Amino acid sequence: MKKTFIFISLLAAVSAAMAQEGGTPPQGMRGTPANLPDISMIGVVEGYLSSDKSDEEKGKLEFSEVETAFQGYIYPEMRADVFLALHKHEGSYESEICEAKVSFLRLAEGLSAELGKIHLDFGKLNRAHTHTRAMIDQPAVLTGFLGAHALNPQGGTLKYLLPLPFYARLQAGAWDGAPHEHHVDAENTADVVDVDGSTVTVVLEPGETSDFSPAGKLYTWRFNMSFPLSAGSELELGTSYLKGKGSHYEHHRDDIRLAGADFTLKLWPSAYRRLTLQSEYMRLTREVPVGKLERDGLYAFANWRFSKYWDIGARFDYAEGAFPAMSRERDYSLIATRRLTETTTLRAQYKHVNLDGGKTDQAWFQLTFGLGPHSHELE
Amino acid sequence: MKKTMIIFLFMLAVSPAWAAPLKVATASTDLKYICGRIGGAEVRAESLASGAQDLHMVEPRPSMVFRLKKADMVVRVGLDLDMWLDSLINAAGNRALFYGAPGYVDASAGVPLLQKPAGRVDASMGDIHIYGNPHYWLDPANAKIMASNIMTGLKRLRPEKSDLFESNYAAFAAELDERLAGWAERMSGLKGLRIVTYHDSWPYFAARFGLVVVGHVEPKPGIPPTASHLEDLVRRMKSEGARIIVSETYYPSKGPDFLAERTGAAVLALPVSAGGGKGVADYFDVFETAVSALETAAGKAD
Repeated sequence: MKKTFIFISLLAAVSAAMAQEGGTPPQGMRGTPANLPDISMIGVVEGYLSSDKSDEEKGKLEFSEVETAFQGYIYPEMRADVFLALHKHEGSYESEICEAKVSFLRLAEGLSAELGKIHLDFGKLNRAHTHTRAMIDQPAVLTGFLGAHALNPQGGTLKYLLPLPFYARLQAGAWDGAPHEHHVDAENTADVVDVDGSTVTVVLEPGETSDFSPAGKLYTWRFNMSFPLSAGSELELGTSYLKGKGSHYEHHRDDIRLAGADFTLKLWPSAYRRLTLQSEYMRLTREVPVGKLERDGLYAFANWRFSKYWDIGARFDYAEGAFPAMSRERDYSLIATRRLTETTTLRAQYKHVNLDGGKTDQAWFQLTFGLGPHSHELE
Repeated sequence: MKKTMIIFLFMLAVSPAWAAPLKVATASTDLKYICGRIGGAEVRAESLASGAQDLHMVEPRPSMVFRLKKADMVVRVGLDLDMWLDSLINAAGNRALFYGAPGYVDASAGVPLLQKPAGRVDASMGDIHIYGNPHYWLDPANAKIMASNIMTGLKRLRPEKSDLFESNYAAFAAELDERLAGWAERMSGLKGLRIVTYHDSWPYFAARFGLVVVGHVEPKPGIPPTASHLEDLVRRMKSEGARIIVSETYYPSKGPDFLAERTGAAVLALPVSAGGGKGVADYFDVFETAVSALETAAGKAD
């Protein structure tokens, strides 16, 4: 028995050594060369302060999110990426499939596709998982028009790299987005005058939440292109469009359209220095039976990585509320990031919020860490 | 005239695609140089990273996707160093470049690796590479293996040019042998020289030329230096007689400068890839520069 065990151990050791020494090494050299997916975890610990005394979340330091990932190839030129998240939402932990998608890397020349529950490729930031963003919160326009969390409906998208002498990609998707669930009092209506002078009768914003997001059958497209301006700079321009319904369609009967434009300019003056200038503008149009609401929002973000370990950034947000009662929010943020390793960062952010003249100061502290070979599609 | 034009256009349209130079995208400028040497006029190589960049931290850009989409072959450093390349290859959707496809070349295949971790590997050891130290190109002898891998890839794509690639490989290997002998001769007087390096990127170079690395500015790979670590390193440098600190040109100079001030050691900021510094046009220049700088610094230290 002992001899058999020694023989098997020896055989395993020799075959493992042969697998490592011979032939082309495994792609990316991640994980172990066994038939296992890349398994990883991202953890986010956050502390939050606010000058708003009624804010129940202030003064807390807690684990705010855990994201686990299972990633790997399921077939030649097909891969699966599943991200499961457990995150704090209005005081309690909720689990959700953050993303679960199958990618067909090449259907035809330049053509690829993704199916599943996917962070919608609308603008620059919605697609990025929170831990990959260079900020702790998200710009007000994303929260106001796409939802408190990234919009990640179920469906599919086709992506086509255009045969042009520069990077240009066109994509179109069809989706089914789940509306947020909350109680709505349909009797609570009002006639309001919109910015264009029309009178609109609408169900007022429910007291429980101010969430709005696109939902139901959604159709999207995005066109983005990128140009290297020099060896150390790159400009990306994009436009996005979404057509669908509002998340409380049963009450508001709102057909919505969301149009967006974005630009990102990156300059790399040296190996570790990088200046990023990024902005997104969105216009939300909600057509209700008696009228039309049009709302605008944007953010402008600048980030300066001045060393291997440090980033500083500033962001300005402007967003009009998605609801009939017109509201305007202007936020000013300062962000500092210290990178401890490739996967572990410490970040602090201060934000001054001006919501219709009501002013609040907020501050966050965040520790993000990674375990294992975690990766996201090119963002 | 019209007929001639039509015939010319027809010939142009039906001429096989392989008549054009192969487009090769490489992860590093050193690989680009070697590709150029092996492929000659049959190859048009482009490097995704510049020679002045830290290959651990190259930021994928959309324009790189475009370059990979057009490429016939990709050559990577491998061993986890250029993981950023995976998302680019996937985004490009170029069937020729997927893992295992004829146009996929990992230059590290067959390189005898140093520092292959045994047993458990985790982040307490820093940003460690689980398959071994990936800075293998800093041993010039490994360039033969890298060139051989590239040649194999080129022969897969242009079998009819095999003789040319083999002849170019032989010329490259011969020049490499000659240069390596010269560098070894010049470095023979420095055998046993004790040095400190910023990152653990010089073990292949040190092993080739008989240098002894007594410590690193980083306490562990990828971890920024701390005051206590630097103090400890000062003691070690003094006790072990390390008088030279070798750093890549892109690493911060604060830590090495602190050590130099406390120990009197010389700081050498050396390029580690072609194009990584002034006068470092190709792969061979990387070693010319390093050997010359070490000779000078060791001479002054004596």
